[in-house]
Amino acid sequence: MDQEPILSVQHLNVKFSLRGKMLHAIRDVSLDLYKGETLAIVGESGSGKSVLTKTFMGLLDANGWIDSGSILYNGRDLAQFKTEKEWLTIRGREIAMVLQDPMTSLNPLKTIGAQIEEALKLHQNLTGPAAHKRMIETLTDVGITEPERRAKQYPHEFSGGMRQRVVIAIAMACNPKILICDEPTTALDVTIQAQILHLIRDLVRKYSLTTVYITHDLGVVANVADRVAVMYAGDIVEIGMAREVFYDARHPYTWALLSSLPQLGVKGEKLFSIQGTPPSLFQEIHGDAFAARNPHALKIDFERRPPMFEVSPTHFARTWLLHPDAPKVEPPPVLKRLRGEEVRV
Amino acid sequence: MAKYLLKRIGQSILTLVIILTLVFIMVRQMPIDGYFENIDKLDEAVIKATLDQMGLNDPILVQLKDFFIDLLHGDLGTSARYSRGVPITQIIAAKAPISIQMGLLSMAVSMLLGIPLGAAMARSKNKFWDKFGTVFIVLVNAVPAAVYYIYLQSYGSLALNVSMLFDESNWVSWILPVFSMSLGSIAYYAMWLRRYMLDEMNKDYVRLARAKGVDSRKITMRHVFRNAFVPMIQYIPTSLLYTVSGSIYIESLYSIPGMGGLLVDVISKQDNPMVQALVMIYSCIGIIGMILGDILMAIIDPRISLNRKEGAR
Repeated sequence: MDQEPILSVQHLNVKFSLRGKMLHAIRDVSLDLYKGETLAIVGESGSGKSVLTKTFMGLLDANGWIDSGSILYNGRDLAQFKTEKEWLTIRGREIAMVLQDPMTSLNPLKTIGAQIEEALKLHQNLTGPAAHKRMIETLTDVGITEPERRAKQYPHEFSGGMRQRVVIAIAMACNPKILICDEPTTALDVTIQAQILHLIRDLVRKYSLTTVYITHDLGVVANVADRVAVMYAGDIVEIGMAREVFYDARHPYTWALLSSLPQLGVKGEKLFSIQGTPPSLFQEIHGDAFAARNPHALKIDFERRPPMFEVSPTHFARTWLLHPDAPKVEPPPVLKRLRGEEVRV
Repeated sequence: MAKYLLKRIGQSILTLVIILTLVFIMVRQMPIDGYFENIDKLDEAVIKATLDQMGLNDPILVQLKDFFIDLLHGDLGTSARYSRGVPITQIIAAKAPISIQMGLLSMAVSMLLGIPLGAAMARSKNKFWDKFGTVFIVLVNAVPAAVYYIYLQSYGSLALNVSMLFDESNWVSWILPVFSMSLGSIAYYAMWLRRYMLDEMNKDYVRLARAKGVDSRKITMRHVFRNAFVPMIQYIPTSLLYTVSGSIYIESLYSIPGMGGLLVDVISKQDNPMVQALVMIYSCIGIIGMILGDILMAIIDPRISLNRKEGAR
């Protein structure tokens, strides 16, 4: 992996206004995305993983805004972008996105071919026969058979997996540097999921893309990710190489997350689940956001936000347990079985 | 497509036959006064002889059979009181052109004003155009049409400096009746287009189009407007109906020599054959409008497959 950041997020804060109340969705997140890597952002629903990536493309909903912080890309600070014109230099062209639900993310009234050509025209300046030729190549690239015939068809004539291939083809037609996959397999059959993951992996290698996966499926993470960031309540609580996060997790939330993997369950026993609910982001959070649900919580966890402690040069975790003065806490014994278990899907 | 069309037309003919039968039977329940100029002064025997001659004393099924046979020959019968003895087809042929012109004009006006208004409302949700449009739509729907028709007629004719009554040769006097006829449809188009566009704007494919770098003006035009317009298409022929039914009142208000005024006239004069013929014509327009709407939808929306069964697979 190249150690040069292609995109660098510094102390980013994102807020939303909802029914007169303010919601602090991203709380002081810093993250470097390295060229050519595949980063997976995991976390439960509402942890802010989608919001974080939306800020890279200026796709926040109208009631959300970047409160402070910066997103550096190519020497420019995306957090300062105001107009649509500025964003159009990024969207698609530099950063493209694959959305979660392929059943709804294509325009039902345009042919598949037309929707891909729209992207080709915007970002590769291709029109007419040249665009058509490139469109057919792109369809072949994503494994659509009989592309000439398929290009003339409408989305409703495609299955879910095929549509997701088309969505990926649209993203590839933009010729981006960074590909964001927002739960690309969540809405698909299990049998199709693996095919789509393989397809994305092959394309990423072929075009040397930098990829960000957003997912709550740790199986996907194990399959594709070089690096993993764990998000909780709008903050990154642990980040490291995939093997470090899986086999040497340090944050109690990561432990809890891994312990709830069904693969680690014992037949006949209840699956592990995390007690309680995530904190409301409408209120300011003091200390460690996970403290209230954390059986190992220290007194300081309720008072001061822990800093990022370095575990290794590539592995960081935001928990007071890593402080030299903290009592020694062993990770749950069940996690030891991770090494022996296949986490792969 | 041809098979679908045939099926659709077959269904429509059946509907039409049912409507005609019902109307025919209802008209037969009306007092017989409608067939005579001055029934008070006539002798019982004369009345009976005339009714016999017109076939009105036959059993109702025989009358019905005769009526349909005449209809197939393009014969709608003769007027009884409106202008006695003149074939109804002839009367209508003289009156129809002006109504059709008015109807088409007002349809064009309502689309030209209603569609941009709806699109502007959707684009500026909760801002000026949206509020303006909402006030307009609520007014048009809440205030009885008769009220604003009369206001438009009396103040409009003053403002435009034209006579309150219609004068075919003066184009200025077309403005008020056509505009009045369009108001309902303008509100209708604007309301539904706004609603459909807002629906479309929240869909994932719009999000994907934004993510792939399409600018918002193009998204509104190429994706949102186009897709929102599809469900509107089927209402266009139906809205022609609204203008036609609106014309019934407006034509008599402005004394326009058209079919709408004619219907009001013949009902008040109890000219039974004429009422029957006009109701039939309006039903036909309605049914044809609905068929056209369905066909237009099928042409525009690829998801509607008329002759093949090809689901998502």
